Amino acid sequence: MAQTSKPKSSRQTPKSTKQTKPDSKATHWRPSLMLRHLNKLRWLSLSVVFLMLILLPLLSIYQNYVAAHAYNHLASSEKLLYDTMEALTSPFTSDPEHDLDIIKGTTWSGQLFGLKLSDPLAVVNQIAAGLEFYWPFMLTALIPVLLTLLLGRFFCGWICPATLIYELNSNLGIWLEKLGLRISHRRFDKRFKYGVLAVGLILSTVSGTVLMASIYPPAVIGRELYFSIALGGFGGGTVFFVITLLFDLLVAKRGFCRYVCPGGALYSLLGRYRLLRIQRVVENCNDCGKCNAVCEFDLTPMRDNFGQECNNCSACIAACPKEAMTFVITIQDQPEQGVGHHSRHYRKAHHKTNTLDTDDQS
Amino acid sequence: MKRRVFVKQLSLLLTAGALLKSSLAKAAYKVQQLRQRYLRPPGALEEAEFISRCIRCNQCAEICPNNCIKFFGSENGIDSLGTPYITPREKACILCMKCGNACPTGAIQPVERKLEPIISQVNMGIARVNEQLCLSFQGKTCGVCYRACPLPDVAIKIGRLEQPHVTDACVGCGLCERSCIQIPQAIRIIPTHTLSTGSDS
Repeated sequence: MAQTSKPKSSRQTPKSTKQTKPDSKATHWRPSLMLRHLNKLRWLSLSVVFLMLILLPLLSIYQNYVAAHAYNHLASSEKLLYDTMEALTSPFTSDPEHDLDIIKGTTWSGQLFGLKLSDPLAVVNQIAAGLEFYWPFMLTALIPVLLTLLLGRFFCGWICPATLIYELNSNLGIWLEKLGLRISHRRFDKRFKYGVLAVGLILSTVSGTVLMASIYPPAVIGRELYFSIALGGFGGGTVFFVITLLFDLLVAKRGFCRYVCPGGALYSLLGRYRLLRIQRVVENCNDCGKCNAVCEFDLTPMRDNFGQECNNCSACIAACPKEAMTFVITIQDQPEQGVGHHSRHYRKAHHKTNTLDTDDQS
Repeated sequence: MKRRVFVKQLSLLLTAGALLKSSLAKAAYKVQQLRQRYLRPPGALEEAEFISRCIRCNQCAEICPNNCIKFFGSENGIDSLGTPYITPREKACILCMKCGNACPTGAIQPVERKLEPIISQVNMGIARVNEQLCLSFQGKTCGVCYRACPLPDVAIKIGRLEQPHVTDACVGCGLCERSCIQIPQAIRIIPTHTLSTGSDS
């Protein structure tokens, strides 16, 4: 890997210097090639989180078996589970019954090597439901909140276990369209999800329960995976999740994340003044519109319209053929920069002004 | 005009149906509340507070070495959807006190695994002996519940013919009910939340 990547980069540098030399007035800043591969890293991260949600219930079952000293009484399939889990964990621990307690839970709320982490939505909703501040619980959301303040709505694109399914689902939609099925791509108002958040919190306060837990896909999916693996049966949340999948597939592409998800709304609000943003390098852009098409949240990166709802997923960076998308550390989005400098429109307009300039000079 | 009348009638019918259904559901819910006995995990807060604190993260069940914690669907009302409970007859709590440490919100309070804190802070319910059913009270020495009890001579004391006598120190873990050899069980746990609702009404 390293051997192949080295010559590439060395080939890259002379190219860029060559390009910058001829037109010295416009500084062509090319983002590093590595940014394009962030999207693959994102898929890896999503898959790892999802696989962890499957692995943790299995580990929990294994712990039960260990605690019961019941190996000789297990059925053959259970023995297989016991042996695989033992093989997986034996390099790390000699006392699985107690040591494995440090990784538990889901993305909704969990324990990662002794560090308790919770979804900010869980904390907000718990405060709304109980009308009290329980500090030990609120502190568990501190790290996610700080990360969201810095990185924006990154949870949605990089961690959320439902995102993996939803993205695969939208890919399935594309395949179905290729096969000739007509799928409607309806658009709704994206502000609807803030309404869902507000109404959900109010209803939680009125009813005194944490209602979001049953309509927030990552929480639902974590719970349902646990139910189906460790407790031997899906709960009611599966029905809800399948309905959202059908809604996404048949009514609006990525509809739940875009228009309904209360967690996405909260993360968007928290990440409004994030530090890490994706920006368009207008000098490189050729207005091909691939970034708009690929955007999960129906934003228009090609017109510099990121806003609070961008989740820094870097899909537009990966899709861009001209390396016109890059990560920048600023607190504000760039105002609209107009058409890309490599686009036909820009060339026409620019040509005109050039001729005008020359006319003035003469 | 006809359509308007139809819509009016339909909406009336629907509201009446919805009202009827909700009232029926409420009545059924109350009956069920009285009938079913479920325990909250050890160290759980008082019922209403517990429901508002619990964020349905499943960690208590995941960490339970005895795998005794289960979760409500909608059968106990929409309020307690997804909250943990224990059915002592199926699988009782072994008072390992791990769930209190795992619970992030303090809905299940952490309790030290020692006799004093457990007796003072854990209050899942209290065991009641039905002397008509209990073998020891019928003259056949049994004593199974006493031997199953994690707090023997504290929560259950035995008298003549190993007749069990439950004291106030009983925390309601349910191991005695689980082990009772009589069907129906001669010793049962009365959950705390049903006790409190009984005193209210």
